[in-house]
Amino acid sequence: MAVSRDLLVNGNTYSVAIDPADTLLDVLRDKLRLTGTKKGCNVGDCGACTVLIDGQPSNSCLLLAAEMEGKSITTVEGLAKSGELSPIQKAFVHEGGIQCGFCTPGMVVTATALLEHNPRPTTDEIKDALAGNLCRCTGYAGILRAVQRCDKYSGDTTTAPDQNTAQPPDASACSQSDERAPAQSPIPNPQSPMSTVGVSIPRVDAADKVTGRAQYTADINLPNMIHGKILGSSIAHGRVKRVDVSKARALDGVLAVITGDDVPDTLYGVSPARYDEHVLAKDKVRHVGDPVAAVAAIDERTAERAIALIEVEYEELPAVFDPVTAVADGAPQLHDRYKRNINTHVEQNFGDVEKAFAESHCIREETFTGNHVYQSPLEPHAAIATWEHDGTLVLYSSTQVPHYVQYMMAHVLHIPLGKVRVIRPAVGGGFGGKAATNPLDLCAAILSRKTGRPVKMVYSREEMFHYGRGRHKQHMKMKLGLDRDGTIKAFKSEIYLDGGAYSSFGVATAYYAGSMMPTLYHIPNYRYDGYRVMTNKPACGAMRGHGVPQPRFAFECLLNMAADDLGIDPIEIRRRNAMTPKTRTVNDLDIDSCEFLATLDGVEQKSGWKQKYGKLRNQNDLSRGLQPARTQPAQTQPAQTQPARPQPAQPNIRKGIGIGSGGFVSGAGYCIYRGQVQLSHEKPPEHFQKKSIFPHANAIVKISEDGMAAILLIGAAEIGQGSDTVLSQMCAESLGIPVSRLRIRSEDSDISPLDLGAYSSRVTLMAGHAVSRAATAVVDKMRPYAAKLLNCDPAEVIAHNGKFSVAPVSNRCDNVDQCRNVDPSCPDSRDKGAANVAHDADQYRDRKGAASVPRDEGAREPQPSIVNRQSSMSATRSVAWEEVARKYFNDNGPLVGTGCYKPREGLGGDYKGATVGTSPAYSFGSSVCELSVDLDTGKVSIERFTDYHDCGTPINPMAVHGQVEGAIVMGAGETIMEDVQFDDRGQILNPNLHGYLTMTIKDAPEIFSGIVDSYEPSGPFGAKEIGEGSTLPVLGAVAHAIANATGVWIRDLPITPEKILRALREKRTDGKPIQAAGSPSHD
Amino acid sequence: MYLPDVQLHQAASLQDASTLLDDRGPDARLLAGGTDLLVDLKTGRLRVTHLVSLNRIDTLRGVTANDGGLHIGPLTTITDLGRATAVAERFAPIHDATSRMAAPQIRNRATVGGNIASAVPCADLPPILTAMNASVVLWSTRGQREVPLDSFFVGARQTVLAGGEILSGVRVPDPPPGFGAAYARFALRNGNAIAVAAVAASVTLSGKDTVRDARVVLGAVAPVPKLVESAGSALLGQSPDDDAFHRAAVAARDAAEPISDIRGSADFRRHLVQVLTHQALATACARARETL
Repeated sequence: MAVSRDLLVNGNTYSVAIDPADTLLDVLRDKLRLTGTKKGCNVGDCGACTVLIDGQPSNSCLLLAAEMEGKSITTVEGLAKSGELSPIQKAFVHEGGIQCGFCTPGMVVTATALLEHNPRPTTDEIKDALAGNLCRCTGYAGILRAVQRCDKYSGDTTTAPDQNTAQPPDASACSQSDERAPAQSPIPNPQSPMSTVGVSIPRVDAADKVTGRAQYTADINLPNMIHGKILGSSIAHGRVKRVDVSKARALDGVLAVITGDDVPDTLYGVSPARYDEHVLAKDKVRHVGDPVAAVAAIDERTAERAIALIEVEYEELPAVFDPVTAVADGAPQLHDRYKRNINTHVEQNFGDVEKAFAESHCIREETFTGNHVYQSPLEPHAAIATWEHDGTLVLYSSTQVPHYVQYMMAHVLHIPLGKVRVIRPAVGGGFGGKAATNPLDLCAAILSRKTGRPVKMVYSREEMFHYGRGRHKQHMKMKLGLDRDGTIKAFKSEIYLDGGAYSSFGVATAYYAGSMMPTLYHIPNYRYDGYRVMTNKPACGAMRGHGVPQPRFAFECLLNMAADDLGIDPIEIRRRNAMTPKTRTVNDLDIDSCEFLATLDGVEQKSGWKQKYGKLRNQNDLSRGLQPARTQPAQTQPAQTQPARPQPAQPNIRKGIGIGSGGFVSGAGYCIYRGQVQLSHEKPPEHFQKKSIFPHANAIVKISEDGMAAILLIGAAEIGQGSDTVLSQMCAESLGIPVSRLRIRSEDSDISPLDLGAYSSRVTLMAGHAVSRAATAVVDKMRPYAAKLLNCDPAEVIAHNGKFSVAPVSNRCDNVDQCRNVDPSCPDSRDKGAANVAHDADQYRDRKGAASVPRDEGAREPQPSIVNRQSSMSATRSVAWEEVARKYFNDNGPLVGTGCYKPREGLGGDYKGATVGTSPAYSFGSSVCELSVDLDTGKVSIERFTDYHDCGTPINPMAVHGQVEGAIVMGAGETIMEDVQFDDRGQILNPNLHGYLTMTIKDAPEIFSGIVDSYEPSGPFGAKEIGEGSTLPVLGAVAHAIANATGVWIRDLPITPEKILRALREKRTDGKPIQAAGSPSHD
Repeated sequence: MYLPDVQLHQAASLQDASTLLDDRGPDARLLAGGTDLLVDLKTGRLRVTHLVSLNRIDTLRGVTANDGGLHIGPLTTITDLGRATAVAERFAPIHDATSRMAAPQIRNRATVGGNIASAVPCADLPPILTAMNASVVLWSTRGQREVPLDSFFVGARQTVLAGGEILSGVRVPDPPPGFGAAYARFALRNGNAIAVAAVAASVTLSGKDTVRDARVVLGAVAPVPKLVESAGSALLGQSPDDDAFHRAAVAARDAAEPISDIRGSADFRRHLVQVLTHQALATACARARETL
């Protein structure tokens, strides 16, 4: 029974009807509509719901609202005063403390309480205070910087940089180390020339995220909205005999209940040749949590109750949980169509592998096993569906791929694509887990159609784990052959990918697991056999680095082992095999720019590799097995050969250092589905063609009538990675206006043209081209008007920094054709040959070439371009940008430009599966990990990471470093602690954030991130990817450092303390274990 | 995942709470910080419909020290316990547990009484308090009794608390000269992680070189916080050196009754018990020497 109580929230008293079962979080979000406080886990594990109770940070999900009378409650909405951000909010904005923003309100609230009673906390005090706030994006580096430097943003606000002005580029790529962080440069002089690309401006959405104003899907409440829930299977494999929904239907407040009978027969999925999912089970369930029924009710609590009242009768079938068993004769079959449960078989053979092995001086063959890693974004998946009276479906979805969702909704619901409007509100992280249409999207649409009301559906944390789509666990057998000098002769891999119950992205995953191996090193002979196998677990999908991180981990381990065998330094052996620019790989992938060697040089130098590696190696005696070598070498430990005899006063700690490298695509060369964009379900599938049928990225730039604002419309999905910001920067650069005059609308398919979305690390390159071309089209339309005002030839006009001016002749590009990659099929790209556009992304090289500086930690300053210098020199003849825009509007009406991007045709070879791994450009990177291992407990402390990346031109260095820092912490966590565990009946044992462990701020290492000087000819302004590739070096580097510290290689992930101890024990007894430690069993 | 329907009773006094609890029987639970209880209710681990909140009984809050020792009110939060001057001055080993338990947000709400009375096997306070010879005061309308903490727990999530009985206080006796204690725990993550294994140890030295008394209490490796008599007796009359610690650590390892679960196998936990016992004893001894 709800009782009216007074709650004091942010200084205001609210009289609110509170039910005894309402938590404070429920009341804040659902009744007071203060949605800045987030629901991330609902059981006190993540800290996203943190509020202050009488000044003390508390999880609002674990407080009864009825008990909060008389307390002073502060939420994120209460931090900014009179519209001005508090100092810590400003610090988060400017120091890169925000990415997806979902943890941000809780993080800022907690930090506020810390600084309240401890204005200058030490690094350890900050980490202690923030240990209950999980972040999945930033690696905590920017968050730590923000709290450390908060002082800078307090007091006189004029010294704090304004959110919308260009910020001095991040002076520090180095986080978590006070002494190494160089002083921030002063606030930029507004008079100085400003180049937008290459500058570390704060995220364009930062202020919204730090105040709680940013709306995520679950924060949106539509009039008359109701709530849905899905019932998942309780068993791993079975036939659905009967679903009795009568009790659920009879429950007061229930408006609709649907089962497999109520959903279309159309199958859906990701890979068009393997659509194998029904919206709700029609005959079988194939994993625990497989959707069986769904309800809609007046509120979420009622929907939950109704779900519990549905009775399902199953005929339980035998289940299979690992791919090696699943392919055996007589194993339970999940789908009739996948014989022996083999979903995809990849067989690729380049060169003559066996001959090359026969000729190799050194051969190393090893078996590795990966882990079940889950993306675990802080924001749970959510969807809201509503139908308009004309039959248009409006779907709000927390998704990385609005277009593919639009396409799939049309496909399953049998409506034209044009009748589906997808709105992507702020997304709280994805990492591949939100890269496909999910049951929430579909059930919400079906329930909404049935009830005639908007339906909201949100996964609980546990349901997220049951939905799955995490990283495939791979069982890998690898063989590497090398010459005496370390040159790779041949490489062979056989991989069984544990696919789970449905195809999802798995076909591509299986190909990626092989195709990306030869992009990093020259491998003249390569054979790959991949089997993606169905098992009775949630489907695996695409996670950051899609298919590649585990094989890359295995390969990097193998290469490091081989380096030891040959007595070659691990960095040196990489140099000897490193990929080089302008190379066609053995599997027909075209590498253009490649500064892999520079990344190796960078990490070697910066980490002090030469001084550390040999020393630690000898100390820990990698080659001769475990010897007592403690941090204080004088202390020998005879007990090492006996059962461990702990020396607690002097923990038995050893240091280790290791290296890993990696690289990734900058966008997939081909779209996921075949044919043209308007394909609908009744149209026969078109044969796959090796060309881009439609542009992958499209943009419209629209100028306000007064010329003071530019609106960039593009469907590219901002999911926290920062695409809205870097796209705004590229657009502003190409328009020649400050980014503060640009607004981006990327959330609504009715407003913004198609972009394929945020996957395969494609947005910077592909969408970047589209926005730059659209902006260039605008400038080209303005050019004659500017020329008239400036009394010069239109070709002499340049736009820069809010002005049109006359460019000196010397600045013109003589050969436009060569430096622009105009797509003739894109109408707005035509007939620009004569134009001399100073800010065109495709022309950037000429400018950059002359202004090139080594892009290192000391070089984070705006890249002064020729245009900048000359435009300031010739500033005598210029006219305001907006003036030209107004002239244009007066004569022609709306000033709009469009642009599009298609990858070049013919990417890749002619063999089966040749398209997977194709890309316009490839990234490269190397990481050195330093850590310590407690030999008594096996506990690993990741202490420091040194990373250099070749991402081409960094559009926003702070954003690049943010991606690297986040990838390092995510990658290190997945190497040592992350693993979804199942029992022998397919139940997930840790579907929560206290069982599935991701690193906290106290686990995160200090990180140095550097960017090497590089230019990618096919990237906008020379840019390529950073988001996914940055994960790839991490796993191998951690594994190597552990081997370096302990003398034992752990070949299966995650490398837990228990596995380390077991390996050490086996080593001590010459391979004979003292006692069978066994892998952790589950009870 | 919402809370199921519950009725909230905000008790004004211990008497009030005890009566409410008695009346409702097994369908009622006491509510203090709620950091475990609400999770159990949300996840369906526990099903009750009556919550009897103690949170309005202010007299149950606070830490006081007197001649007899330390008195901790059951509603004292973990944060407040960790910050109490009396703890810093005379009962510092309690910090080993309060500073590493859960996350700050949880410590700000979770109470000492809840951490003990919930009797969750991996709880952090019971081992160190048991090692420090603490006892709990149990109050009911029938009267109150004091129970040594080492006799309070009878099984996982089970205690000697009778119907209507409420844990109304914790007493920790003043440590004698030559006393030192320590709590060592192992978790898979540095922040906000449940203990995989934990050991609290206390020693009382007579002179610098002889152990007069020792207690070793294990956490997270048995249904209850486990006082290992054999580990303590292995040290009696001994010189507190590595050899003695080792014998005690082996005894502790052998006494552990761990389960295998997602955080580690039983074997791994036994190994950890040995390592942690050694660590805890060494630290406890170092602290004991400082008092002499």
